[in-house]
Amino acid sequence: MSTGDTFLPRRTAQQPKLPPPVKLPPSLAGDPSLPYPSIGTELHELRLQIPGVQGSVLGGVDGLLITHDVPDTLDPDDLAAMAAATFGLGRQVSLRLGQGEFRQSTVRNEAGYFSVYAVGPHALLSVVGADAINVARLHLHAPPVAERLAKLLTPA
Amino acid sequence: MANLDTALKDAMTIDGAIGAALVDYTSGMTLGVAGGTPEIDLTVAAAGNTDVVRAKMRTIEMLKLNDDIEDMLITLGSQYHIIRPLAGPNGKGLFLYLMLSKTRSNLALARHQLRTIEEQLEL
Repeated sequence: MSTGDTFLPRRTAQQPKLPPPVKLPPSLAGDPSLPYPSIGTELHELRLQIPGVQGSVLGGVDGLLITHDVPDTLDPDDLAAMAAATFGLGRQVSLRLGQGEFRQSTVRNEAGYFSVYAVGPHALLSVVGADAINVARLHLHAPPVAERLAKLLTPA
Repeated sequence: MANLDTALKDAMTIDGAIGAALVDYTSGMTLGVAGGTPEIDLTVAAAGNTDVVRAKMRTIEMLKLNDDIEDMLITLGSQYHIIRPLAGPNGKGLFLYLMLSKTRSNLALARHQLRTIEEQLEL
């Protein structure tokens, strides 16, 4: 046995164990088949029902705007994108803690609130509220709205 | 001095008590609830009555009365609802909410007992 036969252990490339890539459904944004008038009514009703709601936006989890009910002072595209960012963080937290699907997240700032609610698995309802909003009432009222919106987004 | 749980438990010992809650009226969320029935969701009651308290406080402000709410009594067909904002320095922005059965309660005594509970509540 010659010393030439010994060789250092080789490092072989290992295939990382990654789950197969998720097949994403087509974006909900810009889908002409959605019932926009009914969705608009739901968003409008939410603003009327709860004092302090400045506006609401329905967006996809991809951050693209579906439709909105916000005044000119707010940019609905920005809100839809921020909702998706909030959802991303919420989902990571939930995955790490093993707490299931993302349901809602609220950001409270010095002068107001920004709440994001899951609308089914592919859409998000974000609500901008004034500081004086009754946030408990919003949390009681918005989930049923999100549920109805999820039904409207699911093709029958 | 009583903590939150003791205070709510004490509130439930008041004759005719159906439910009690300590509510933050800046958000409408409950800090604690006791009692209630399957039909009566105290968190819903808390959120709704937050608007009542806010409206009354705004009215007092608009009338420039320069005063505070000691308590509020709402009389229903079969119930009394007593709302009592906390007066202590660390109870700012909170109120006690008590639901009483009209037939089983003594309103004057209940109001007095709720005041004692509020005074002794320490957060």
